[in-house]
Amino acid sequence: MIRTDVIIIGGGSTGCGIARDLALRGIDHCLIEKGDFAAGATGACHGLLHSGGRYAVNDPEAGADCIAENTILQKIGRKCVERTGGLFVRLPGDSKRYRDTFLKACDAIGITTEELSPSRALDLVPALNPSLEEAIRVPDCSIDPFRLCMLNITSSQKRGGLVLTHHTVTAIIKEHGRCVGVTAREEITSDVKEIRGKIIINATGAWGDRVARLAGGSVPITLSKGSLVVTNHRITNMVVNRLRPASDGDIVVPNEAVCLAGTTSIPVTDPDGIGVDPGEVDIIATQAQEMLPDFAATRLIRTYAGVRPLLQSDGENGRSISRGFRIIDHRDGLFSIVGGKLTTYRLMAEKMTDTVIAVFGLKRPCRTAELPLEGQEELSGYPLSKRLKSLEDIVCECELVTADAVERVAGQVGTRYLGDIQHRTRLGMGPCQGGFCTYRALGIMQEKGKMTPEESMGMLRDFLQRRFKGIKPALWGDQLREEQLIESIYLGILNMEQEQ
Amino acid sequence: MNATYDVVIIGGGISGMMAAITLVGCGKKVAVVSKGDPVCCFSTGCVDVLADGENPLKGIGSLPEHHPYHLVGDKGIAEALGLFRGIMSAEGIPYVGDVHANRRVLTSLGRSKVTCLVPETMDFSDIDPHESLHILSFHKMKDFYPQYITSRYAKAAYSTFDAGVTTTVGIAERFEDSDFLDTFTTWMRGLAIQEERIAVPAVLGRGSSGAVYHRIGGECGRTVFEIPTLPPSMPGLRLFGGLKNAFLRRKGDLYWGRGIYSVEKLGNQIEAVTLTGPGRSTRVEGKAFILATGSFVSGGLQASRDAVMETVFNLPSYLPPGTRDAWFQDDFFAVGHEIEKAGIRVDASFRPLGTEIENLYVCGSILAFSEVMKYRCGHGMAIATGVAAAKACMGAYSGI
Ligand SMILES: Cc1cc2nc3c(=O)[nH]c(=O)nc-3n(C[C@H](O)[C@H](O)[C@H](O)COP(=O)(O)OP(=O)(O)OC[C@H]3O[C@@H](n4cnc5c(N)ncnc54)[C@H](O)[C@@H]3O)c2cc1C
Ligand SMILES: Cc1cc2nc3c(=O)[nH]c(=O)nc-3n(C[C@H](O)[C@H](O)[C@H](O)COP(=O)(O)OP(=O)(O)OC[C@H]3O[C@@H](n4cnc5c(N)ncnc54)[C@H](O)[C@@H]3O)c2cc1C
Repeated sequence: MIRTDVIIIGGGSTGCGIARDLALRGIDHCLIEKGDFAAGATGACHGLLHSGGRYAVNDPEAGADCIAENTILQKIGRKCVERTGGLFVRLPGDSKRYRDTFLKACDAIGITTEELSPSRALDLVPALNPSLEEAIRVPDCSIDPFRLCMLNITSSQKRGGLVLTHHTVTAIIKEHGRCVGVTAREEITSDVKEIRGKIIINATGAWGDRVARLAGGSVPITLSKGSLVVTNHRITNMVVNRLRPASDGDIVVPNEAVCLAGTTSIPVTDPDGIGVDPGEVDIIATQAQEMLPDFAATRLIRTYAGVRPLLQSDGENGRSISRGFRIIDHRDGLFSIVGGKLTTYRLMAEKMTDTVIAVFGLKRPCRTAELPLEGQEELSGYPLSKRLKSLEDIVCECELVTADAVERVAGQVGTRYLGDIQHRTRLGMGPCQGGFCTYRALGIMQEKGKMTPEESMGMLRDFLQRRFKGIKPALWGDQLREEQLIESIYLGILNMEQEQ
Repeated sequence: MNATYDVVIIGGGISGMMAAITLVGCGKKVAVVSKGDPVCCFSTGCVDVLADGENPLKGIGSLPEHHPYHLVGDKGIAEALGLFRGIMSAEGIPYVGDVHANRRVLTSLGRSKVTCLVPETMDFSDIDPHESLHILSFHKMKDFYPQYITSRYAKAAYSTFDAGVTTTVGIAERFEDSDFLDTFTTWMRGLAIQEERIAVPAVLGRGSSGAVYHRIGGECGRTVFEIPTLPPSMPGLRLFGGLKNAFLRRKGDLYWGRGIYSVEKLGNQIEAVTLTGPGRSTRVEGKAFILATGSFVSGGLQASRDAVMETVFNLPSYLPPGTRDAWFQDDFFAVGHEIEKAGIRVDASFRPLGTEIENLYVCGSILAFSEVMKYRCGHGMAIATGVAAAKACMGAYSGI
């Protein structure tokens, strides 16, 4: 049995942010995540560090949170934020009145805007639709959600926080009406651990209601799926938004070597097993193409979807701490934190930790807004120039990941899964989507004795299946071509589907 | 530049090359125009004919009505495969096997793959899980991990040699060097291998593997076989190299790295094509044309969000009914996605349906209903239809 003070369930941005805040305030804690970090909405999001512009008109309070947090993250998270800047573009037919409202709303909450002529906008983003009427520049940024989680967790681990990834919380233990611990099951071995703590935080996003129900509580949310598509290269180096009331498919965000375009919004009931419909891909591609005409001829390498938990209107048992997200005190030692955005994760963590501190009767101020995220120094090995040093040894040609890098991560404590390598090296994130390198990465893991051949075959199967699910809705053009090749390799050359 | 031929073949894959060699063999003046490396370079080098059942030729009868094999017939298929074997033997890349019997080869994942004709270096590849096997692998080789295999064979072991390079092609090139081969065989003898068979990833030489293969077998007194690897795969490259050399040896003209820029038509005849590529434009005239540009992988077919088109002549293409959602099954491992049926439909003499053009023939994986992955008939179908289309073309144009 493991004992701690605070148990955090969920390793998305919210959970990881809380772990960091608790660590910096000297509170013992344990974070439990059923997959890898960012396995939920965090890893499936658009990667936009909002300036707040998108919310300025409709939800100014959320917009104000965004611009405040945007400014903080640019300061504390240099290695996971790219200061791309963003444009809101007005195309022929888009309302001019909305533009005036937009500018006023941004001004009211402190978002700096700059009005750009079409030619100035085209200088900045040559791929823009040349018939645009104007563009408004805002401080949108691109953010790497996975790295953000890792850096937050680094602070926790440096201070003795315990992190259990690939562990699903299956039960919340109650004694005398209070939540005193959880049981968690390891993904592959099915080993069950018992973890006891004084406070339990449910930071499971779209799974929030399910987890609260383990303790007899509930979280008033409805679920909405959002889908995105990934292009094979960067069409724009700035975030591009459509200057009109938010609707489907009107944001394109540059991210590392690719662009992410989306999203849609479709009600769902189950946060697991969601997929992307070909129809959604067509909507996103059509919309993106209006802003960036090149999009029509761009190869889409993958699609993915995430689920947003939408807060139902203020329930009585919930206390609205801030706009957009809510902390629910279930009054039995369990707290749920739901809603918000990736952009406001730090603020959410601050409020949640304030609550914990108050319960413990302590007075310790939050410092997460001043201290830079720890562990960023070590990320310096990432730049392309360094990755190019050992071209000989490249195992992932698309993302230039070397055998050494894979071996290093494979050799680290805690690396057990293919995803651990993919997330930490970007292996398999490029145009072939792991078609070639996964076989190699798993081969190296076997060599390192990290997994048995049966485990690696299982992971390879699972990987190919998930990969195909993400690719299938956008299979035409060059991506279909690539897919025919990958299919022939695994089913033809390797004859993988054969069961023995 | 202007050049005139009896037949111009567009697409230099296994199908186009077999058509080309058939035609030059009959004294025709032939050009092959090809944009890039064909699919057989990625392949295992084995010739799949039809994976279902013990005798692939017997299975042909039960294929769906529109399958291109029916246009050739089992006798024609056997003849075409015989022609292929003759060509490859003459190029020093002999194939073994029997067109009336399927056989198995070991894959890099420790599975066995059903195929029909195999390069001689894979002759002893059909191994039972209880037989003993020793794998000779290479230090840090990128595309081969012996554990995938040893875990499935109770009596399998492996040893690792440091070749100083880690890519498949790199190691294969080292084997062309006799000093390297000496060092390798000395090392191998030192292992005093006890197992009955020895397997090596397919790196035993670049062009013809024969010399290296026989030397290793002789030195260790065991049966040796190659295991095909991921692309680029040496047996696939050797197969393609063999066909290319055979064509050039017979004085065919190869326009490599060139696509089709424009097509000239006169009435119902294609007169000439202009090629893409560097320098002055090249215009190639022909009395007849054969289209062998392959399926999606090679760009012979191209899909948009809701349609499939043929990329050179814009021929009408068959597209399975339904929306894009129906093109693929959800399961990656399910064989036979609907989209595989897409392609060009032809008449009994390999002429495309639904067009006025009279001097055009189509062969290989671009043909509709070939469903190469589903039936595992890749090279077999390409060879059979390539030879048959060439014959149909000569039959119709006895003058050329
Ligand atoms: C399509 C889409 C696009 C978005 N784009 C943006 C954007 O561009 N910018 C932005 O700021 N915000 C964006 N958001 C919102 C943002 O992604 C989320 O608000 C944020 O990531 C939520 O983080 P979280 O940690 O609360 O939830 P999640 O990231 O969903 O984390 C919950 C975690 O709990 C885990 N879990 C669930 N059940 C259990 C269990 N029983 N045991 C253990 N672990 C469990 C899950 O595996 C998951 O990792 C987007 C959301 C969606 C859906
Ligand atoms: C990875 C992989 C492994 C395989 N393994 C096997 C195997 O082990 N055994 C087996 O039997 N089958 C295998 N197959 C299937 C088999 O290789 C193919 O079905 C067969 O080679 C197709 O030959 P083809 O001549 O029809 O076309 P391709 O080989 O596709 O050749 C078409 C050629 O046309 C050229 N071309 C295309 N467009 C133009 C243009 N506009 N102008 C000029 N040239 C153009 C292309 O560059 C290419 O060179 C495999 C397939 C793949 C993808």
